[in-house]
Formats: sequence, C-alpha cells, structure tokens
Amino acid sequence: MKDSDTLPRFVARKRKVLVVDDSDVNRRLIGIIVSREYEVIFAKNGQEALDILQDSPGAVSLILLDLIMPVMDGYAFMERFLGHSGQYGKAPVIVLTANKEAEVESLRRGAVDFIPKPYDFPEVILARIRRSIALEEDTTLIRKNEREPLTMLYSRNFFMEYVRQRDLDDQNTPMDAAVLTLNRFNMIQDIYGPGFVRHLLKAISDEIRRLLPQDHCLASRGEYGSFLLYHPHRSDYDIICNEIARKVRELTGNTRFNIHVGVYENVSKDMDPEQRFEKAALLCYDNKTSYKTGCYFYNMEAHEKEMYNERLILMMDDALKDRQFRVFYQPKYEIQGDSPVLHSAEALVRWFHPELGMISPAAFIPLFEKNGLVLKLDRYVWTEAAKQIKKWYDTFSRKIPVSVNVSRVDIYAPSLEKELLALLSANGLTSDDLLLEITESAYTTDSTQIIETATRLRSLGFRIEMDDFGTGYSSLNMLTSLPIDALKLDMSFIRKMMNSSRDLKLVKLILDIAKFLRIPAIAEGVEEEKQCQALRKMGCELIQGYYFSKPVPPEEFEALIMKETGIPA
Amino acid sequence: MITVQKLRDFGADVSDGLRRCSGMADFYLEMVNSVLGDAPRFDEMEKAIKEGSLREAFEIAHSLKGVYANLSLTPVLDPIVRITEMLRHEKAGDYTAVLREIREKHAALVALANDD
Repeated sequence: MKDSDTLPRFVARKRKVLVVDDSDVNRRLIGIIVSREYEVIFAKNGQEALDILQDSPGAVSLILLDLIMPVMDGYAFMERFLGHSGQYGKAPVIVLTANKEAEVESLRRGAVDFIPKPYDFPEVILARIRRSIALEEDTTLIRKNEREPLTMLYSRNFFMEYVRQRDLDDQNTPMDAAVLTLNRFNMIQDIYGPGFVRHLLKAISDEIRRLLPQDHCLASRGEYGSFLLYHPHRSDYDIICNEIARKVRELTGNTRFNIHVGVYENVSKDMDPEQRFEKAALLCYDNKTSYKTGCYFYNMEAHEKEMYNERLILMMDDALKDRQFRVFYQPKYEIQGDSPVLHSAEALVRWFHPELGMISPAAFIPLFEKNGLVLKLDRYVWTEAAKQIKKWYDTFSRKIPVSVNVSRVDIYAPSLEKELLALLSANGLTSDDLLLEITESAYTTDSTQIIETATRLRSLGFRIEMDDFGTGYSSLNMLTSLPIDALKLDMSFIRKMMNSSRDLKLVKLILDIAKFLRIPAIAEGVEEEKQCQALRKMGCELIQGYYFSKPVPPEEFEALIMKETGIPA
Repeated sequence: MITVQKLRDFGADVSDGLRRCSGMADFYLEMVNSVLGDAPRFDEMEKAIKEGSLREAFEIAHSLKGVYANLSLTPVLDPIVRITEMLRHEKAGDYTAVLREIREKHAALVALANDD
C-alpha cells in the first residue's frame, strides 16, 4: 500500500495564481511559466491586487508579488493582505525580487518564499509554487480539522498523532491515558434533546480545560459523550471526576447522571496509542452498569496479569496434549455414623507447567470459564475421573463416586448427555458413579436452561450437586423446584462459623433447608475438629476439607481407600 | 525586424532569454520589441536624478533591471545594473555617463529593428 505522503493530491480545479508586477514584460514572462500549470491573473500594483482579492476572497491559491511598484508596493500590499483573510481570503505570497537583501526582509514580513529575478529556471519556479500551495492547503486542512468544532478539543486522528509526537519528544515522563464518559449518554440525549446535549458537552470540555491545563494535557472528544485525555501521571482523577459530575448535575438538575473515568495509568509506550485508550475505555464499558460516579484503573500490574492470562490461553491446548493438567481428588466423608466413612471424592484439576511450575486453579479456571475454554478442560477432567473410578474399582472392587464440575458453558452443549453417557459406557460405570456439580450462581443467572438440562440429566440417573451454595442468591421459592440432589455449602460459611454466632446460625439454616428439601448437605473447607463436630451436631451428612485430606493425586488417594477397606498399605 | 540572430550579434544572451520564455522565440522577440519604447522611462529616471529624487530614480532603474535581466539584453542591462546599485546607495555624483551609455545601448537595440 502507498504511504499517504505519496498518494496523488485531489485536484478539484485549476488553481489560480495572481501575478502582481508593474512591468508588463515581467508579468507576461512569469505568466508564461506559471500558466503551464495554473490559471494566471494579473495586477499592476498592490492596490489592484487587493481589489481583485476582495472581489472573491479565497479564489486565489498563491500570489507572486513584485516589491517595487507604483501606487502600492509589495511591502505595503503584504501589510494590508496578510492577516486579513476575512476581507481578502488567504493565500501564500512568494516575492519576486532581484535584490538579495529584500529576500530576507520579505520572509520576515510574511512571504513564504522568494523567486529571484531573472527567472532562470522555470521548473524551479513551478516547483516552488507547487510546494507553497500544497503547504498552505495542508495547513488550512489541518487548521480546519485539527479541532472538533463544538468543544475545540482535538479531533481524534490529530489527538492520536499528537500523543505519538508527545511520546517521541518525551519518553521518560510517565503518562496516563484516560477516557471520561458521561454515563447513560443515550438516555440524556433522549430526555434533554440534542441541543442541550451539545451545551452539556461544551460545558464538560470547558471543565476539562479548567481542571487540566492544556499545556500539559492533550484532550479530545470521543464518541457518545466520551472524552480522551493524555496527561502526565497524576493521582487525583477522583477530584476531576467529581468536579465534572457536579457540573453535569448542576446543568441537568439531575443527580442520577454520573461520570465514569477509566484510567490506564503509566501507559506502556510500546503500545499503540489507540490501544491504550481502548484499555481505558474498556474500564468504563465494564462498569457501565454502575450508577455511581467513579474512576477505574488499569496499570502495569493489570497489564501484566492480562499478558499472563493471554499466555495461559495460548498454552492451554498444548498443556492438554502434553497432559500437564493432573486431576487430584479430595475425599468426602460421611460423618453421622460412629466414625467417618469415605463416601466419595471431588475431582479437582491442577496444572503443572514445565516452566511456570504449578499454576493455581484460581489463575486459570475463572479465565477459562470466561472465554469458554473450560469446555475442553471439563471434558479432560471428566474423562480422567471416569477412568480413575474404573481403575479403583478394578483394583479395590469398590466404586468411589467422583463429583466433577459442569460449567455454565457445558449446560449449553447440545451433546452433553451423549458425551457423559459415552464416558460411563466406555468405563463400565453407571450414572451413580459420576456426580455432577453445578454452581449455584449458574442456576440463578441461566435458570431456565440449567433447570431443563439438569432435569434431563437426572432422568438419566445422574445426581446433581449444587456447588458454592449460599453465594448465588437463590430464592427459597426457587429452591423447592430445582432439580438437585445435594447442597454444597460454600466454604466461606464454614470458615467463619466458629467465630460468629450469626454465621453459625446461617449454616444451621442452610442445613435445615437441605433437610426440608430432603437432600444431603455437604460442607466444604472443613479444616478443624471443632468445625467437624459442630457440623455433625447440626445434622450435616458429608464433609470435605483439609481436616480429612487435602486434594491428593490418585496414588495418594488409594492409601485412603486402603485404610477405609482395611487393606494394609 | 529584430531576429534572434541579430540579438545574439548584439550581445544578448539569447539562450537564457529564450529559456525564460519557455523556448518560444516569437514570444521572446515580442517581449524584446515591447522594450524598444522604453526611452521615455530613461527620461523619467534622468529627471528624477536631476531633481534629487534618487529613491524614485532607483525604483525606475530597479524595474528596468528586472526586465532587461529577464530578456538577457546584456548590453543594455549592464549599465542599468550599475546605475541601480548607485541609486540603491543614493550615491550623489555624476550619473551622466552611465545614463548616456544606457541610452546608446538601448538605441543600438532599437536600431536592430530598423536595420534590415
């Protein structure tokens, strides 16, 4: 593709050049040269030239001006003409002179160039005329488009270019890229109409100018009531944000309109400016449902996290292929009898990366849940777990049911039941052996789909455990109709219950709900004897946690089975 | 009638002059013909000098210099350049000789038109 500098210029018309010279011969000589490319008009002196220009301001693209002329000489002409574009239009002036000293003086008085007499090189004359016209037109275009007319802030392309220039001029000063948005802009437009909105945007831009002096801050108006700001790093965006919100409230008389500012702090200057502001804008977008004025920040730490996440995503397929993921098992014990009995296990995935070492599930599971990759990971875990159940059965003649996670995206997979049944049949298992855990929040956000899918799975004999119960805001009314076979109490309750009677009561309440629903309750995160005893007293059937065992690799889990079955290790 | 050859013989730098006229000999000769009636301007210049209006005389000389330089009519141009410089610095003195030279050379140019 051609660089924009080498693209041909748009030629809408033959441009006009005004030759001002008292000598008929000189006028005609220069006229012959210039008329090769331009329409030429003539004036015998400065006054005549001004009359022509005043007749149609802006029609002349360039003026070739002799200096010494009767009636009005070149200098007097320049004094009257330059800086009075309203009356005469605007055009660059090239002085025609045979006098070396006059060359410098002419430039000092505002001429853009000079052509020495005699006219020895017509090609050079034409080249100088061409260049001066192009330069003037570029400058005019820049002046007309550099700023957005309503707010007089930079228009977007110029803004981005100035950001780049600023970085080139100063690599060292830490800079922030901020996007300020008028939240619910569309609603404001609908309520108050476009005229008022223009007034509002203008007022915000004035506030920006007042709060952020323009000698340091580059500012531009973005789309849909947003503004882009590029400023040396500062830590008082809250003040700016509140000041502008105050202004908006003052003008609209409405306290419900608010301002969000997304700030990418200490930007990476290796990143393209457009991308930096996308990051800042994304912060506003992610928080657009917040009805409070406020600032959101993105910084190097977040950037590195994002890069790390990106790396994890890229590595995932290879990690599956290379079997870097390992499934660990945490036992669940029945505690209502005289002594705890091994009941089942939960499959928990661990990632051992050859370079990064052990990657925490907290680092990759929420990430893969967000982008759908968890679909692949879940299937990997299901397959491993099913094989493991079979292996233990083959070894110990005992079926240890294993619960596996069914993520929100799995619920939408049309082949879910088929895949699960195929796994069971491949390993000679029944639907009693593979327990399915679905998080409570999935029930509350995608309830219709989940209820349908869970009902179908149950009709095939699968048992569904509602995971993280107590964090997903199920309504009591909803609970009674949900197709579930066990409630797993979120570990946060268990952790707090011994220190607060309120939390203890809450656990009791949840256990009562399970009883009411006639399904077992499973307590996760049990670490201490006293927690175990308290839960037992309150009627909790199953317990999972470090009190019995941390999640362990299958080989270690076998020791637990052997202990249970009395086989010596 | 003035011809390119006659101008060359006269001492004009015809190739330069023609280049400035985009190589158009007719146009060049037309331009040269248009300066044949310049004698009254020399009178104006002389009058201004005599009256001590050296600035006015300079402007006339300067203007003439531009034209004769563009047409490369070197024999006339040379004394015009000299008088222009004298007037630029508003040198008081005897301009008679240089004025005479200008008139003579210009007359010689005019003679080319009449000399068939």
